[in-house]
Amino acid sequence: MLSSVISTLFTMRFIQAIIRMSTPILFAALGAFVAASTGIGNIAIESIMTFAALTGVLGSYLFNNAVVGVLFGLVIGILTALLITFFSMKLGADAFLIMIALNTFADSVAIFVLYQITGDKGTTASLTTPILYTWDIPIIKDIPILGEILSGQYVLTYLCWLIIIVLFIVIYKTPLGMRMRACGLNADAARTAGINVERLQVLSLILSGVFAALGGVYLSLNYLKIFSKGMVSGQGWMGVAANGIANGNYWSLVLSAVIFAVFRAVSIIFSSNSAFPTDLVGAIPYFSVFVILTVVSIVNYYRVKRGKVEEN
Amino acid sequence: MSETILKLDKVTKVYPNGTVANRDINMEFEKGEIHSVVGENGAGKSTLMKMIFGIEKPSSGTITYKGEETHFNSSMDAIHVGIGMVHQHFMLIPSFSIVDNIILGEEPTKGVFIDTKEAAKRCQELSDKYDFELDVTAKVSTLSVAKRQKVEILKTLYRNAELIILDEPTSVLTPQETEKLFDQLRFFKEQGHTIIFISHKLEEVKQISDKISVIRNGVSKGTYLNSELTMEQLTNLIIGRDLDNDMDEYKTHEDFHNEKALEVKGLHMERNGKPVLNNVSFAVKCGEILGVAGVEGNGQQELVKCITGLEETKYTGEIYICGKTVGDMNIRGRRDIGMAYIPEDRMVDGVAGNLPISDNLISTYYTREDINGKVFMDSKAIAKVSDNLIKTFAVKTKNADTTVNSLSGGNVQKVVVAREYNTNSKFMIAEQPTHGIDIGSAEFVHHKLIEMRNAGAGILLVSADLNEVVDLSDRIIVMFNGKIAGYFPDANNVNESDLGMYMLGAKRQSEEEIGGALND
Repeated sequence: MLSSVISTLFTMRFIQAIIRMSTPILFAALGAFVAASTGIGNIAIESIMTFAALTGVLGSYLFNNAVVGVLFGLVIGILTALLITFFSMKLGADAFLIMIALNTFADSVAIFVLYQITGDKGTTASLTTPILYTWDIPIIKDIPILGEILSGQYVLTYLCWLIIIVLFIVIYKTPLGMRMRACGLNADAARTAGINVERLQVLSLILSGVFAALGGVYLSLNYLKIFSKGMVSGQGWMGVAANGIANGNYWSLVLSAVIFAVFRAVSIIFSSNSAFPTDLVGAIPYFSVFVILTVVSIVNYYRVKRGKVEEN
Repeated sequence: MSETILKLDKVTKVYPNGTVANRDINMEFEKGEIHSVVGENGAGKSTLMKMIFGIEKPSSGTITYKGEETHFNSSMDAIHVGIGMVHQHFMLIPSFSIVDNIILGEEPTKGVFIDTKEAAKRCQELSDKYDFELDVTAKVSTLSVAKRQKVEILKTLYRNAELIILDEPTSVLTPQETEKLFDQLRFFKEQGHTIIFISHKLEEVKQISDKISVIRNGVSKGTYLNSELTMEQLTNLIIGRDLDNDMDEYKTHEDFHNEKALEVKGLHMERNGKPVLNNVSFAVKCGEILGVAGVEGNGQQELVKCITGLEETKYTGEIYICGKTVGDMNIRGRRDIGMAYIPEDRMVDGVAGNLPISDNLISTYYTREDINGKVFMDSKAIAKVSDNLIKTFAVKTKNADTTVNSLSGGNVQKVVVAREYNTNSKFMIAEQPTHGIDIGSAEFVHHKLIEMRNAGAGILLVSADLNEVVDLSDRIIVMFNGKIAGYFPDANNVNESDLGMYMLGAKRQSEEEIGGALND
């Protein structure tokens, strides 16, 4: 019983599952990271993913085109980001409160809209929606093992890894990225160097909205192929947590997101085996976030105490 | 011959809350001169510089740079025309390298990427040209304060600044580093740069400047050639009256019958196995000021901590405040038996910056009957007490509800002194009471200390400023290496260079002579 579960851990399918499951968490983590780079804590990732997942399906249904659905999702991600900047920067509200409000009502609003359109309070299963496809990479797909792992993934997964590389170059190799990081590390210093801090913060929040939205539409148009209530289920928060663990280190960010995906994959394998209580097994990924965050904080505490970490 | 680079014409700044920071300031700066702008804390120097650098906009009046009237929207505009500023609080990103800090905002590029090689080359060349001795690839977080300041200066030079404003640049430097900075400033001058030097250290201003402009209370008091101005005239211009150096004439000599405000016997304390206080014994009598002189780090701080109970420190020996032994009494207990304390670091230990002045004025005696009602604080009484203190101590503020953070350093210190003064304590520790504040406020604080002394309080004055110790004290002890190295029963008859010998450990008195500190 346990051995059958363990044996599935070492199959090709398991690795493929990790790649699939890491995509939304990576998008969420990138969103949290890019906002944090200019000094903004975007904790609305979860709600943006929910909004985008739903509007993505609706856009795809209305225009009978999955790409239009993705665009719909992106637009809602950008609008939400702009909403946050409008309230916090123009009207002077506390950005965190706005984001908490968004998170609190995201699920209910999604269900409300869903019910208005489909008459169903749970999923968009009644709508026939075109979805995004997987992609077989020529040549690579014929390589044994590597082909099985790399080829045949969802298109948004490939986009995700492309963004990971491009974003790294932008943040660490270009003037724009250096200025963004400067805003996050010392806004006053950036300002006296003639940088328009607020403008870069708005830009980074918009990017954050875009990445989170991609995570959302990935879930509804690629991975699960429908919108169902509560489908984001904390993956946005895992991205935020990954960003917290990485503490500004880009590749730790990617690694943390993937580790969370591993725990998600493990939990799903265990829950398919009826010998384990599903609720308990379902808690594994969330519990892993808790444990990893705790360990990282303890390690950091002692590193700071021993003076090994320099000021930022 | 001389060419005006910057001209201020009737520049006025009124803040939205009605505070007038600058009124009708006229000033001219010539190319290639070192021009100091001096004034007390809160006189309006910083506001003026912010307007020149484009951080603030003048309410009226014009600023003309190189013959053109400026309308800066941000410091970016000022930087573009060639004005640079080295801020008092450094504007650096510690986790960035020196290169990244310098090029930030003006990055050399190759295609869409930052050209890191070119950037490093340019920065290194710049550093070498001005003899800054920096390895520009180093992280700023690894640098000393003096080096960080060099990075700030390089930032302005990288942006081709012709006019460089330095806001209190020496406040963070040692004397040797200050010398080095001055050499560099002179070199900049030779290269044709114009330097605006902001400071309230008058010796330095006299040493470095070609011209000196004085601001008092937001109003310009004129520009003078350094060579035509004596120190006395300069002080007079800054505070608007002559400064009393001799505090003796304010002292009265009532007899307090040798009553002792503080007695310290055989105080001994070790840190890491080394004694930081070694058999220290002395007494402070009522109605006198006992000065503790010494180079910083010779046990003065530990001494104060033992007496105040500010830090839980293990020591042996006895401490009596107003005749009562303190044992392991907490700070409240010590204050209750008659101790008042002006701490060294006013922003950390002296005030709660985010609270209003009124709260800070009562924070050490808020339990006192006259302001503490039965259940709630008596806000009327508090208002009365604080308004009175603000008036008598001439704290520059609109009202008592302003937060302490918005005050200038000198005024914050006045709040601290006013509060401790109002405790009517018999024993006061004044630790660096005028450190880093302007001369006008410093003089005021000195007068208040003398006033307390005359009223019968015993004051322990711990100061790194030798002039302050000599001017105020009745008796003086010198600390060296955790011990009392010298005792001077008559502060009026000490020779400063002689004191210096004891401070540096070149001389030491016999145990008998030192014993006078306790027994006289």
